[in-house]
Amino acid sequence: MTNRPALLGGMLLAVLGSLCPFLWFVLTSFKSQIQVEAIPPTWWPDGSLAFYTSALVEHRLFHYVRNSVVVAGATTIIVLAVATPAAYALARLRLPGKAWILGGLLCVAMFPPIVMAGPVWQILERLGGLNTHWGLVLPYVSLSLPLAVWILTVFFQELPFELEEAARIDGCTTWQTLSKVLLPLATPGLFTAAILTFIYAWNEFFFALLILTNPDQQTLPVGIALFQGEFTMPWGEIAAASVVATLPLIIVVLLFQRGIINGLSAGAVKG
Amino acid sequence: MTGLALRHIGKTFGQTRVLHDVSLEAGDGEFVVLLGPSGCGKSTLLRIIAGLERQTGGSVSIGGRCVDDVPPSERDIAMVFQHYALYPHFTVRENLAFGLKIRREPTPVIEERLAETASLLDIDNLLDRRPKELSGGQRQRVAMGRAIVRKPALFLFDEPLSNLDARLRASMRVELKKLHRRLGTTMVYVTHDQAEAMTLGHTIAIMNHGRIQQTGRPDRIYQEPGNPFVAGFIGNPPMNLFEGSYRLHPRDLEFRVGDLTVRIPFQAHDLVGTESGTATLGIRPEDVTFDPPGPRHVAIAGTIDLIENLGGDAVVYLTVKGQSLAARTVPGLRQHAGESVTAHWPMNALHLFINEHRVPLPSS
Repeated sequence: MTNRPALLGGMLLAVLGSLCPFLWFVLTSFKSQIQVEAIPPTWWPDGSLAFYTSALVEHRLFHYVRNSVVVAGATTIIVLAVATPAAYALARLRLPGKAWILGGLLCVAMFPPIVMAGPVWQILERLGGLNTHWGLVLPYVSLSLPLAVWILTVFFQELPFELEEAARIDGCTTWQTLSKVLLPLATPGLFTAAILTFIYAWNEFFFALLILTNPDQQTLPVGIALFQGEFTMPWGEIAAASVVATLPLIIVVLLFQRGIINGLSAGAVKG
Repeated sequence: MTGLALRHIGKTFGQTRVLHDVSLEAGDGEFVVLLGPSGCGKSTLLRIIAGLERQTGGSVSIGGRCVDDVPPSERDIAMVFQHYALYPHFTVRENLAFGLKIRREPTPVIEERLAETASLLDIDNLLDRRPKELSGGQRQRVAMGRAIVRKPALFLFDEPLSNLDARLRASMRVELKKLHRRLGTTMVYVTHDQAEAMTLGHTIAIMNHGRIQQTGRPDRIYQEPGNPFVAGFIGNPPMNLFEGSYRLHPRDLEFRVGDLTVRIPFQAHDLVGTESGTATLGIRPEDVTFDPPGPRHVAIAGTIDLIENLGGDAVVYLTVKGQSLAARTVPGLRQHAGESVTAHWPMNALHLFINEHRVPLPSS
């Protein structure tokens, strides 16, 4: 068939290429200050945990992690709670202008954030949302909703209509049909939407920097960016903090990935 | 008591009218088959009975109660879908119990019904499997089980056997018939397969273009089709139908299509208003023979185009006076394709249709 070694080589190259920066800052985070500044650079760290202690204690890293968990978690929950019924309606109801609604959502998702920065800031200032977590969650929700609605709409559309009718005849209310029959079958879609929303909210930098000026409220990306002093660039601490910031994401993705696979294997509907 | 009564049901989707003034009754315990080609409105009619679709006009009664404003769950019906519609995330046991649980039946009742249904359908050993671990036939049984377990007043089947292979379909057909005999519940069964309709139904309603073309006992519909559509739809191979013209004579009717002329003994009839006009003449392939003719037979010479040997019988396609004719006969015909042969049929096996209606011919 095809050339297997070449395919394998290409795959390895792609994986290594994307892993390289990550591996570099993992290695850097375990180096000592001298190793970080050494020229030519040393590859293998001496296993020092000094940067971790410094990042966690001096730079209050856990404080930022907690803020990020709150903001990204709240964003994900709200997005799923709103997107699920919206997607179900878009997938199932005979709505006038459905294509326009879906197209409009896609347009919103493509808006460059900088265009919205001024208005969002002004609105939040009026509402008293600057320097609050809900003030950040609000734009996050509206920006990640379109994608979540799209993903879930596609999933609901693929579920056979007969299942819903069977549920109706079995005596389910609309809500029971959704919760007992459709949602369990749409788990892969729910997980996908949840992961993408969580990653977006966890990594988002621009709005977080704009809305949160008080260090007590700031999230991880902003917190790490502000490690840097006027005359210093604490590479080691930044690397250690980045490792700590990435770990929860990896854990979340691994956990949800299992859910996705379970959901997919349960999905066989007809033979 | 009536199991089901449909009165003047109409249905339009936007500008398209899919059902025209459909009326149908099914007695308590009767097995009614809605038979028709795809797109004839039979599935829509079933969905209206189920309450999954709302009719534009007319009314539906189940067990003597008008159910026009009753949701599907309260119509006391169960439906078996074409693609089974088993819940993929539930085991067979959970699939069967789901409807009862939603209706908050007590657990002992659920357990008892489950055991009863499982043994009735012979699916006891499948209870802990999920639908994707079952074969097509097993899924079909589970789908029926899910309907039976609820003990409804009316069963609705939407082409339930169409996804199975021919052999399994035949055996499931037999089981379904036994099942109906055992349960004695009214059943409405939608299919496009005439073999299913003929074998299962007490009554067949043949539909086309959103109208019921004829309702009646299977043998009656076969023997006395009410119009050319029914005549051509029931029977395999379908009835030979010739569209030509007729002229009335004092004692007989002369039918002519191309070079073929048939004179049929005929008495004046209300249905034939004019002296002459267009008509359709039909003869079933099984009524055409190649044996020496008896009295009152029509005999016409033709050429054999093709012989299909089906084992138990053979279908001979021939051309007689420029018209195609199919004949079903026993295998072992002496002549071969390309050779000439004389085809015969008894006069009383002819079917005559004028203005789309059956015109009774005097039996010989």
